[in-house]
Amino acid sequence: MSTAGHGQPVSATAPGGSTMPRRRLRRLLPVLILPLLAIAAWQVAIWVAAPREWMLPSPAAVAEAGWDARERLWFHAQWTLLISVIALLITAAAGAALAYVIARSRMSRLAIYPWVIVSQVIPLVALAPLLVLWLPSFAAILVLAVLMSIFPVIVAGVDGLGGTHRDLIRAARGLGASDGWAWRHVRVPAALPRLFTGLRMAAVFVVSGAVVGELVASDRGLGALTRLSAGQFETPLTFAAVVLLALIGLGLFGVVALAERLALPWTRRSTRPRSRS
Amino acid sequence: MPAKGVQVPNGTDIRIEGVRLALGDDPPVPVLGGVDLQVPAGTVTAIVGPSGCGKSTLLDVVAGLAAPDAGTITGAGSVALMPQRDALMPWLTLRANIALGAELAGASRDDAGRRAEEAIARLGLTGFADHYPHALSGGMRQRAALARTLLAARPAWLLDEPFGALDALTRTGMHDVLRDLMAEVRPTVLLVTHDIAEAVALADRVLVAGPRPMAIIADIDAGPGTDDAQAADAVMTALRTAGALA
Repeated sequence: MSTAGHGQPVSATAPGGSTMPRRRLRRLLPVLILPLLAIAAWQVAIWVAAPREWMLPSPAAVAEAGWDARERLWFHAQWTLLISVIALLITAAAGAALAYVIARSRMSRLAIYPWVIVSQVIPLVALAPLLVLWLPSFAAILVLAVLMSIFPVIVAGVDGLGGTHRDLIRAARGLGASDGWAWRHVRVPAALPRLFTGLRMAAVFVVSGAVVGELVASDRGLGALTRLSAGQFETPLTFAAVVLLALIGLGLFGVVALAERLALPWTRRSTRPRSRS
Repeated sequence: MPAKGVQVPNGTDIRIEGVRLALGDDPPVPVLGGVDLQVPAGTVTAIVGPSGCGKSTLLDVVAGLAAPDAGTITGAGSVALMPQRDALMPWLTLRANIALGAELAGASRDDAGRRAEEAIARLGLTGFADHYPHALSGGMRQRAALARTLLAARPAWLLDEPFGALDALTRTGMHDVLRDLMAEVRPTVLLVTHDIAEAVALADRVLVAGPRPMAIIADIDAGPGTDDAQAADAVMTALRTAGALA
């Protein structure tokens, strides 16, 4: 929000005086355009090509299969959701801690950062069978999900901690703050917006990691269900599981975005905090 | 008298003798080439010089944020630095930003909050204590930064182009605010600016810095009773001699 002026704060007002539900609807409509077009094209392809249902089911068949198998889907979805949430929490804590350690000193940056990058060059899918050999199923999936999601958190955290505006540090140090104080009270809060950008990406990757783990190492979870249902030519159910996975990824992304909104009130467009400090 | 509740120690001399500093490793670039200057207690000295000549680096050295390769500084450790622009913490409300100065000076959180409220009233920011910096105008943010510097309770202030980001009208208003504050608190001020008119209007003396590596090449009286236009002419002549003005 621009705030140029000579004395009065700029207040955020609803453009055109729109009411909240109408504004939300106006924002939601463009989001829905692409999936609606994709479903329409999908249905047209079914009408034109008339493939067998086990090759490509129609959107209606997918919806019907999803509804019929809702209890089975929910059973597997809970497992995937549980692993994704736990993995995301571990990713957030471990990623932020690693970013802090890497950014804090030149020595730790040289010692750790290159290996974090190397860890991402290795195709993590290829690691899955090894992890299953070494760890119990749940732990193996968890590790895989964390490995697949932690990279953006570390990179965003390191960039955020290292990219604090010089004048903010100078302002604190110039008023007598120690280097440690400036790290805790200036660099860390200044890095939070970027860290949350990494966390939003991680929220999506963590679901992919959980699914890869379930495909290889589990009989539970939506990843396992896609493997089982595809093997039994229950293609509409496979599609329904994939749709549910997308919704879980979207939901986790939304939860992180909401947490960001609550944790970083100063990045909002409104001019005042919700509560008086 | 200082604003109620704000206690600032009496001014202290700042004495800089033969300060040299080179930055970078490959090869080191000389930035400060033997700077000598003295700011008597309770007076305002401005440094004017070409961009990139090392003025901000000199303030960093005086504030203890960078160690000189050679030379001595007396009065360092008793200074509060106000960097370019306002440098308010975007995640803190106006009140919390101002209170930071007192907290870093050792005040308890409650005491710092109380002092911040007093400074808010003193600097005409009443009603905006709970706003975040992004929601305030440039002039208001600058007043808050001044309040934060005031609450640091240091006898000497280092002001690094404090009004460089403001438009001319707001800057003139801020000059009045700063002048009033300095008249009350009587700090020792070392002001770095690229604005000759600002230097002459606010300072008792204007020092002209030559191009990098920085050294003081002229010392011009701009105190009460001197003609501002003549002082500005003298500054421009010195800058021209140094090759800093076309």
